[in-house]
Amino acid sequence: MEALLFTQGLNVIYEALILAILVLGLAVVMGLLNVLNIAHGEFIMIGAYAAYVVQRAGLPYLLAIPAAALVCGAIGLVVERCLIRPLHYEPFETLLATWGLGLLLRKCVELAFGRGYRSVEIPIRGSLSLFGESYPAYRLALMAVAALVLASLFIWYRRAPTGARIRAMVGNPVLAEAVGIRTRELARNTFITGTAFAGVAGVMVAPLTPVEPFMGLTFIVNSFFALVVGGMGTVAGLFAGATIIGGLQSVLSAAVSPTSAYIAMLLISILFLWQRPRGLFPRP
Amino acid sequence: MPTSIKMTRRDLVRAAGAAALAIGAPAIIRPALAADALKIGVLVADSGPAALFGPAQRAAAELGAATINAKGGILGRQVEIIFADAGASPAEVAKSAVKLMLSDKVEMIFGSHDSAVRQGVENVVKGKIPYIYTPVFEGDDCSSNVYFLGEVPEQELQKTLPKMVELAKGKTFYLVGNDYVWARTTNDKAKKYIADLGGTVVAEDYYPLGAPNKFENTVAKIKSAKPAIVLQTLVGGDNVNFNRTFADFNLSDDILRLSCLLEENTLIGIGKDASKNLYSSLGYFADLDLPENKAFIGELTKKYGDKAPQQCTISKGLYDAFVFAAAVTTKSKSLAAKDFAAAADGVQFETPSGSMTMMHRHTAKNIFLARCEGTKFTVIDTFAAVPTQQSCT
Repeated sequence: MEALLFTQGLNVIYEALILAILVLGLAVVMGLLNVLNIAHGEFIMIGAYAAYVVQRAGLPYLLAIPAAALVCGAIGLVVERCLIRPLHYEPFETLLATWGLGLLLRKCVELAFGRGYRSVEIPIRGSLSLFGESYPAYRLALMAVAALVLASLFIWYRRAPTGARIRAMVGNPVLAEAVGIRTRELARNTFITGTAFAGVAGVMVAPLTPVEPFMGLTFIVNSFFALVVGGMGTVAGLFAGATIIGGLQSVLSAAVSPTSAYIAMLLISILFLWQRPRGLFPRP
Repeated sequence: MPTSIKMTRRDLVRAAGAAALAIGAPAIIRPALAADALKIGVLVADSGPAALFGPAQRAAAELGAATINAKGGILGRQVEIIFADAGASPAEVAKSAVKLMLSDKVEMIFGSHDSAVRQGVENVVKGKIPYIYTPVFEGDDCSSNVYFLGEVPEQELQKTLPKMVELAKGKTFYLVGNDYVWARTTNDKAKKYIADLGGTVVAEDYYPLGAPNKFENTVAKIKSAKPAIVLQTLVGGDNVNFNRTFADFNLSDDILRLSCLLEENTLIGIGKDASKNLYSSLGYFADLDLPENKAFIGELTKKYGDKAPQQCTISKGLYDAFVFAAAVTTKSKSLAAKDFAAAADGVQFETPSGSMTMMHRHTAKNIFLARCEGTKFTVIDTFAAVPTQQSCT
């Protein structure tokens, strides 16, 4: 029984961390630029396909990370230039446009790879023993990487000048421009960073899920809810949202049933959208 | 006839009329000929979660029609397929079915889609024309003038479960499925067979259909409960996801898994690293070593080459539907509901997976138990002519 509780505890942490990594790209773009990138899931999907291609080519799996970041970043660059900027970063217009973009990206991938499932082999096999209980090594590695990435991002955003510039741009774009911050480039780079993060998240989850053109749809739902609950534009919000949505789903799913866990998550998200649309830790 | 050269106004009108008739004639004659063709509405997954099967379904149906047409068609008429998308909501697909009947004038409907869509279609077809439903499903439907070719849970389980118990050398089961009618009904029926075998069900988990599910919790519980067999009624991506998680938690060496809907595409998604000790019980596998199947796959390869969409039990059923309809109408000489129903009962027909017999509007057929070897199926046991235990009149 204790062994089960221990494993389930790890599962809860795992789900929260994985969700945080999946949300990250969306959080950057939505929290900082007010653009809800509905095609976020498709960028994750493209990242997963990048992992598939790299693995099929017999290259080391780690190479998939720069590959996915590059591909998704490049697509992000084109999208920012041709879609987001012409729409002046308007929330509603870009929401519709990225929805269409999602359809397009799915169809393109379907054209290139077909509709069927692909499977990406787990790069780190076997399991590690923790306090006498074994847990899959790849998942443990993922948790470590996710924690590391999130922590360093938190520190970077607080300390680095770019973080300060982004905060200035978001707070008052006109003033930021006046003091010499090139907001246009900054916004573009922020958007590209968001899509590249999504691609890397895709590489990380690819060995765990079926890789197929529609896989992005399953990621966007939870990611969006995590943002709604946590609040946009803050690292604390990202952590809180991922922990509440991911953790709660994991706990309820283990303790009650997966279906009620899903219903609970939907109810909480609706409650937040209705009563506290800015989430727990919104940008001040 | 002095003025024969001169054309009167009346002649001109007459000539113009004749010319118009001559030009227009094909348009009039064509529908008359076309009415001779027997139109069949075929509902396939062009969109939606099952769209993965769409191309294979179309290919199987087209081959079915071509095969029947080469033998003289149905009731002496060549058959013509009109496809419609079954991937939309039940209400939308029901509308397509109405359109097929009223404006396309189809005389039969074949469908490979989920049960919710089937009920929507049944509500509008109302038994007016024969409706042949082909995929794996939960059984217990006796709507009039509907014929079921797919595997019902009784067929998937009654012979297979004892064999699995023998292989696993244990009788404890953990049930995991998607939260909808097929999985729940299959598991309810499974529980009866398990009780008959003197086995026990240690727990059952159901995951919402179409939700972003993760399976770590259930896998952790399975690890702790140590059942001999995990019986799965998960579909599509969830099936892939669960089995990959299961193997990643290192359970595949000690616990056998039996899936009630594991076909070729899903197995490719699960991958070779996660398919050890995984079994599938179905009425058809594309690699079946039967001459009928070799011919079926051979024809498809001839037509599509390397691009032939991967066949599986979900798609191949549509081929069977044509063979079945031809066999029934040879006896009934009519498509009228009463004649068709009377002729259908007991009719035997040959399919790529062997001979099938329609009994009480459900189909007794061969059931194959296959073990996954990498991303291929190896049939380890064949149960001939497994009855459906269904009792529609």
